[in-house]
Amino acid sequence: MPKIIIDGKEIECRDGIPVLQAALEAGWDVPHYCYHPGLSVVASCRLCLMEQKMPHPQTKEMGWAPKLFPSCQTPVKDGMEVRFHSESVENNQKHVMEYYLLNHPLDCPVCDKAGECSLQDYSEKFGNATSRMVEDKHKNPKKDIGPKTLLYQDRCVLCTRCVRFADEIAGTGELAVVERGSRGEIDVFPGEPLANDLQGNVVDLCPVGCLLDKQFLFRQRVWNLQTVPSVSPADSSGACIWIDANDAGVHRVRPRFNERVNEWWISDEQRHGFEYVNREDRLTRPRIRENGQVRGASWEEIPAHLRAAFAGDGSAFVISPMLSNEEAWLLATFARQVAPNAVLACGHVPVEGQDRSFPKGFTIRAEKAPNRGGVERILAHFGGPQMSFDELCGQAADGTLKAVYVYGGYPAAWITPAQAEQLSRLDCLVVHDLFDGPLTERADLVLPAAPWTEREGSFTNCDGLVQAFERARPPRSGIKAEGQFFQELCGLPGLFRSAKIRTMLGESIADLAETFQPRKEPEHAH
Amino acid sequence: MRDEDVIELKAPELTAAERLYLPQIVAGFRTTLRHMFLEKKKRDENMVQYPDAKRQVRIDNYRGVHRLNKDPDGRVACVACFMCSTACPAHCIHIEAGASPWPDREKYPVKFDIDELRCIYCGMCEEACPCDAIELTPHYELVARTRQEMIFDKEKLLHVFEQTKHDKPRKNPAVTDYGLTGNQDKAVARPTSQTKV
Repeated sequence: MPKIIIDGKEIECRDGIPVLQAALEAGWDVPHYCYHPGLSVVASCRLCLMEQKMPHPQTKEMGWAPKLFPSCQTPVKDGMEVRFHSESVENNQKHVMEYYLLNHPLDCPVCDKAGECSLQDYSEKFGNATSRMVEDKHKNPKKDIGPKTLLYQDRCVLCTRCVRFADEIAGTGELAVVERGSRGEIDVFPGEPLANDLQGNVVDLCPVGCLLDKQFLFRQRVWNLQTVPSVSPADSSGACIWIDANDAGVHRVRPRFNERVNEWWISDEQRHGFEYVNREDRLTRPRIRENGQVRGASWEEIPAHLRAAFAGDGSAFVISPMLSNEEAWLLATFARQVAPNAVLACGHVPVEGQDRSFPKGFTIRAEKAPNRGGVERILAHFGGPQMSFDELCGQAADGTLKAVYVYGGYPAAWITPAQAEQLSRLDCLVVHDLFDGPLTERADLVLPAAPWTEREGSFTNCDGLVQAFERARPPRSGIKAEGQFFQELCGLPGLFRSAKIRTMLGESIADLAETFQPRKEPEHAH
Repeated sequence: MRDEDVIELKAPELTAAERLYLPQIVAGFRTTLRHMFLEKKKRDENMVQYPDAKRQVRIDNYRGVHRLNKDPDGRVACVACFMCSTACPAHCIHIEAGASPWPDREKYPVKFDIDELRCIYCGMCEEACPCDAIELTPHYELVARTRQEMIFDKEKLLHVFEQTKHDKPRKNPAVTDYGLTGNQDKAVARPTSQTKV
């Protein structure tokens, strides 16, 4: 571990990183636009310049070199001495900021980036209060560069992060800088829009409000959002995300750094695929069928009903891979309590095509469920009669099974009409799902489910990595979150806390109790 | 806390007359009686027989019911930047933004509701507005039969502007870039019609 001196303070840093990264990790706030730890270094924004001690060419005496060095391009070296708080460095920052703001429009009130914009933060911290520009500002057009992204060229600072992302991470290279100097623009090639499956990341990479997501456009101001760490359920990779939500619902999903899985990126389906949690037509109250009549039920009467219906032989529980480890464990525990010979089955696992890898190793998994690994691990622990979901449907059709509890929780319609038909021949069918579908029409008891944004727990990804996610919103009115409901079914008192259940789970399955915590990114990282 | 920060106060010594209490009562009643009999004329001048007569309020800075201003082309002047709802200490402004139908503007409010019952009439929204779209008017008689009626929506707020624009004309603000992006010309946003509102 090399030791370097920044502003007279000795710090220890990782080997092989640039001075800028070392300074950021040690808590310095160094302004920078073009540097991003996941991309190649171009040293073009000139904001992170620093002073460095060098030997004098003749006398070999160590002294501050007269020229400034880009800290993003200078690797750390044991014993080197640099400084960011000096007159020349601060003057440089001030002057570069003035250049950036020459043509930048004053449209922060209508810009979606306002509140999390580096240009806003840096101009307040390192820039001037007034502009000396008297000429009319150069105005570049707004461009529609892809089905999901808009480009406001007049707000651009030409850091080229988006161009490097398209070249290096996505490997598709749709973006380029055209023209030169003050007329430089980011653009796509004619007839080739920005449409790769990782393109949403350019919006997060953009340090200003130039690249904006059409899904989030004009939707909320960012300071009205509360951010919660979570794990994406869109596929089995277990990508770490931030969920931005407020009282009006969930508005945005952003990547959260995770060195083992997704690094700084997420795919577009992980980013944009959350919209179903805000849908108005979600199930919100339990329904029960009695003598052919469907009526609304209360959550209090359901445990007794379930115990009566599932007590005998021929009962089965379908545990969906959309459930967290804790919820799956509670449901399996309840199944064994009420019927020791009950069949346990892992639910339908949606698969789309093949795993797709990108040049730097980012992978979009074909399996579109977050927790098959965890559910199978828990089912293996419980043992007893088990079968696949298809076999279970077949046995339901030929009358071997009498009562089946199906947990769905998928974002889209998932069951085939044939399977729904097979399951409808049961004496008792309990469906716990998000939306009405072919199965809920035939069910004897329908329970409303909560999506992952309204629950907490942990998912086991395709590589066996266990990661915890937090609750971004309270369950919609009328819904009892799965964890709480299953805990009450098991007869455990108190409020559902996933950490508590995880400890209990760890007593029997030790490796599911340890959650992985990604390395924390420095505060001023990107 | 340091010793020099502590100030000890002693209750003043009362004189014999003060301790007797009665002279103070007489002094108090003297003021009351003076107003009752001697200063009737002055009182009548100051008294306003509301609602037959109404007190004159200061037009410029009286903080009454809100209005949403229209620009000279008759469109809502608001650009849905949420500054007013952010500044509002009573959280009574609820805005939903959308893409504007006009070429010279990015955003406009699809919904703009002010809960006039929740509002404390502090005028912070007017201070925060970057394009002088929301203003408080001298109109203070605010009555309704239901709570729902007191939630003023965009149409109602624009209607208040129509009602009050003769008493308190909109200061046509200097044209800013706030609503503008892209390759539009500043001239597009400058008032085209000659009618001053």
